[in-house]
Amino acid sequence: MAPLRGVRYPLRMPPADPFPGPPPSAPEEATLIDIRHVSRRYRRGVDEVHALEDVSLRISPGRFVAFMGPSGSGKSTLMNLVSGLDRPSEGEVVVAGQSLGDLDEDELAAWRARHVGLIFQFFNLIPVLDARDNVALPLLLTELGKAERHRRAETALRVVGLDHRLDHRPNTLSGGEQQRVAIARAIVTDPDLIVADEPTGDLDAKNAEATLGLLRELTDAFGKTIVMVTHDPRALRFVDEVFHLDKGLLLEGSDAERASEAIRLAAGGHASAGARP
Amino acid sequence: MKYAGLVLANLGRNKLRSLFTAGAIALAVLLVCLLMTMPAGLDRLISDLGSNTRISVHNKAGLVYSMPQSFTRKVRQLDGVLAAVSMTWFGGAYEEEGKVTFPNFAVEAEHVGSVYPDYVFTPGAVEDFVRHRDGAIVGRKIMRQYGWKVGDRITLRSTVWPANLDLRIVGEIADDNAPMLWINRTYLDETLKAAGRGGLGIAGIIWVRVDRPERVGTLMSEIDEMSRNSESPTASETEKSFISNFFGSLKGFVTIILIVTALVSLCIVFIAANTASMAVRERSGEIAVMKAMGFGRRAIFGTLLAEATLLSSFAGALGVAGAIALTRALKTVATLGPTLGPLGNFTVTNDVVTAGLALSLVVGLLSGLVPALGAARKPVVDALREVF
Repeated sequence: MAPLRGVRYPLRMPPADPFPGPPPSAPEEATLIDIRHVSRRYRRGVDEVHALEDVSLRISPGRFVAFMGPSGSGKSTLMNLVSGLDRPSEGEVVVAGQSLGDLDEDELAAWRARHVGLIFQFFNLIPVLDARDNVALPLLLTELGKAERHRRAETALRVVGLDHRLDHRPNTLSGGEQQRVAIARAIVTDPDLIVADEPTGDLDAKNAEATLGLLRELTDAFGKTIVMVTHDPRALRFVDEVFHLDKGLLLEGSDAERASEAIRLAAGGHASAGARP
Repeated sequence: MKYAGLVLANLGRNKLRSLFTAGAIALAVLLVCLLMTMPAGLDRLISDLGSNTRISVHNKAGLVYSMPQSFTRKVRQLDGVLAAVSMTWFGGAYEEEGKVTFPNFAVEAEHVGSVYPDYVFTPGAVEDFVRHRDGAIVGRKIMRQYGWKVGDRITLRSTVWPANLDLRIVGEIADDNAPMLWINRTYLDETLKAAGRGGLGIAGIIWVRVDRPERVGTLMSEIDEMSRNSESPTASETEKSFISNFFGSLKGFVTIILIVTALVSLCIVFIAANTASMAVRERSGEIAVMKAMGFGRRAIFGTLLAEATLLSSFAGALGVAGAIALTRALKTVATLGPTLGPLGNFTVTNDVVTAGLALSLVVGLLSGLVPALGAARKPVVDALREVF
């Protein structure tokens, strides 16, 4: 699939920053995501759950990375922290030069709208809106007019190869098409960071491959930084880097290599698969 | 405005449920609007019936007690009184019915025309009433009810006095608001004397016509003061007040209906709130995703509240339109028959329209408030965790 050929993207067309409020200063560092000694604990009944313990990592712009690990390893918690959906109990999360701990709930929401595109396992499209309006939904948070919102939504749908399905509602699209609409929705604001939570979890093998391929192309063609939480061993062939987590800890060194090996073995015939250098 | 498409799309998500909710609100608003026309309608009806220069004087103890007829003459002599006429309940039963089926009074024939100059009588009716001792003037409604015409002879058997009177209808009160029959007081008086009962020395009610509306209050005080130390102290009131007292129980009934309607409106708030809560609960996944995308608390709260308010306002407008259409239809129906006349008094005024629309707006705001607040306040990560 080469849906990106000939498409004018990114969507940084006038106005360059369509969101209300002053535009953010561009980060100068080579690190887009900087997680510093982050822990996340929460209460479940009388118990305190240690979802993450002292995790530190850095992700450079334009990288496609995966958080992998068994259920309860803390990968979704880490994703929530990176995308500004949650706050750490300790430590600091800095994304695109912004320390997320400094922002209140409403400021975080505005920050997410401007900087993060989200993709979910179950697509989570609005069933009463057609593909174009679903994709244009995040643009309601901008100061763009309706025509411009639609134009950008159509461009994003062209990027994912669905510009022929503009007027289709989700229930008339296949699972793979719905996920591509969701990807278009995630990129329509031209965010710095795309966060995908098990994007292939509800897809068959063919559509899972296509979705991973599309995410890879977004990184290659447009320099998008993508953080993906996944169990899917196929992801190893598409991502630049894998962060393994287990019981709230980030695995490093030989532990991480063993985890990668286990995933390769679980993938069966994909022994040659591995994170791209 | 940019959220309008989203709000409308969400309203159309479950068309049947939206339709039923809107229908319930529309019916409640229609009911409230109709009931709100009742007090004003009754006031209008009373205003139509009553004059502002006519006073009713009756025994302070109640309408069933009488006053001496001589008091009527004293009242007539007061400064500012243009005319006064006594009315005494005859309680006559029409021979074919065997019971009292319409109000009938013995009145002073020579004074009745002066007290009721606003009544329209058939030509020569009042003069013939004075001239013929056995004359009777009958309201148009009763004439039609029994198929009588001027010149007919009828017999009324009193259920109060030992008297059966043969009467000649000499005229008609061409007014549907006067459904009564007047007989000549002298005729009853003489009949009673002939029966050895000493004549009719009492008056049930004295109707007094005053020269100017601003003198009504003073004259009422004067009349009541004049009788204060007598055996029959009086209570005077304006004709409007007298009639509205008759309608007093009906007004109380209207108050009860308005209270019930307020409770019905409250029920509608709860029903609409339940519907709104269900709608929000069904869409909790979508709302969580929208919050994750960056839709803030204000946007979530605003769109959800707008949905409830828009639906309710639309339904309210339908309800108000229905009330207007219904009262107009009643006005048309009122022209079809004299007994339906009062139906024409009920009008949906601008105030009622405003109240109906305001009610629907309040129903929308109240019903949407709790679910919208709940959805907006929930932290995004909790919302996502509940859904995924």
